[in-house]
Amino acid sequence: MLQDIIPHRHIRYRTDQAATLLIGRADEEPVDQKKTLENICQSGCAKPKHGYEECVKRISGDDTGTKHCTGQYFDYLTCVDKCVAPKLFAKLK
Amino acid sequence: MQLFSGSVGVRKGLSLFSKWAVLLVSADFQKPKTKSAAGASDHHFSVVDLRSRILTEMAGGLIHQVLRRKLQSQSAVQALSSFASRKANDDAGSAGMRTVALIGAGVTGLLGFATVASADEAEHGLGVPNYPWPHQGILSSYDHASIRRGHQVYQQVCASCHSMSLISYRDLVGVAYTEEETKAMAAEIEVVDGPNDEGEMFTRPGKLSDRFPQPYANEQAARFANGGAYPPDLSLITKARHNGQNYVFALLTGYRDPPAGVTIREGLHYNPYFPGGAIAMPKMLIDGAVEYEDGTPATEAQMGKDVVTFLSWAAEPEMEERKLMGFKWIFVLSLALLQAGYYRRLRWSVLKSRKLVLDVVN
Repeated sequence: MLQDIIPHRHIRYRTDQAATLLIGRADEEPVDQKKTLENICQSGCAKPKHGYEECVKRISGDDTGTKHCTGQYFDYLTCVDKCVAPKLFAKLK
Repeated sequence: MQLFSGSVGVRKGLSLFSKWAVLLVSADFQKPKTKSAAGASDHHFSVVDLRSRILTEMAGGLIHQVLRRKLQSQSAVQALSSFASRKANDDAGSAGMRTVALIGAGVTGLLGFATVASADEAEHGLGVPNYPWPHQGILSSYDHASIRRGHQVYQQVCASCHSMSLISYRDLVGVAYTEEETKAMAAEIEVVDGPNDEGEMFTRPGKLSDRFPQPYANEQAARFANGGAYPPDLSLITKARHNGQNYVFALLTGYRDPPAGVTIREGLHYNPYFPGGAIAMPKMLIDGAVEYEDGTPATEAQMGKDVVTFLSWAAEPEMEERKLMGFKWIFVLSLALLQAGYYRRLRWSVLKSRKLVLDVVN
């Protein structure tokens, strides 16, 4: 965010177009809001994430091709989605 | 199947088996019946006589039933099991054996489905979360700026593969663009028009009354260009999928690496929300893919929200009018209900407040 890069808040109120000249590429690459929220929400879903990683370890030796960790993966994704969904749209225009 | 129905009279919808079962029940109870499926008169029959009649009619009925249902594969099992049940019923003549035979018939029926393959969680796709859409509330309208951005996303990202053949350019007027903007947009496309005076088809620039252009001439061409998969028409997609708005948003923004143990073949992509997990469409919403006219940063989530708002409008353009109408008429009808309730009680008060005197004459 702009205010992280420029410590003086009053500079923020100059036009965003001017800011790109000042900073360069800081504003050109918008960061996906859903990705950042998912990274934040990962910490609250440690238990299903651990379950998934345990499953990966369990099936790593198996080469029959029939074993997979879809269930644990879905549990983890459901947990992350539950955390992300109420917050995401507030960050979008 | 209704076994122990109250009336012994023939009812439409009762299977042949249940008719006989009812007869057997009545026979066991040793009650003479005036009406029965067998058409008995109202004489007193002994139990033995009734049972011999039932046996002969059962045999005929069974043959009749089996012949009637010969062509259906499942019911062969049913016929066998019902035959077995009937024999058990007649021989034992007790409620215990009857229930055992019933359970046996049920198990036989259930086992008929044993050949269906079992499936895992991916079959129905990952459950979709509910996003707080701004147009969700009882009196909330669409975000029309979002519809405009969403149409831009559709045009630049999706229209190369997905048709929206039910939407015309004129539908956008007053919703996302002004009339002049829409006319200019329509004029950018070429439309094949009907025979001219020389009998030839010709192409002309688009008008407001034209539908959105189709990317492929027909379904076969669409399948051929997309590895056998047909990119569905998006005019009604948010109504054509369960929990459509949330599903489409989750799908578009939900491309991930497959879990351990799952491999997706070449040409397909992993998406946990798609039933089965392997979708033919690649991830289309990349950050910065579109440059919004109003300067909004075009992140994947922003484009997903805008395009789903646009698709929701396309599927339900009447939503705002519907909500207004609904609110108004629910209010009016509630008042009418109160008035009707008062009037009903007013008219009934005469009857409800009367007193009855029981005059006993000795």
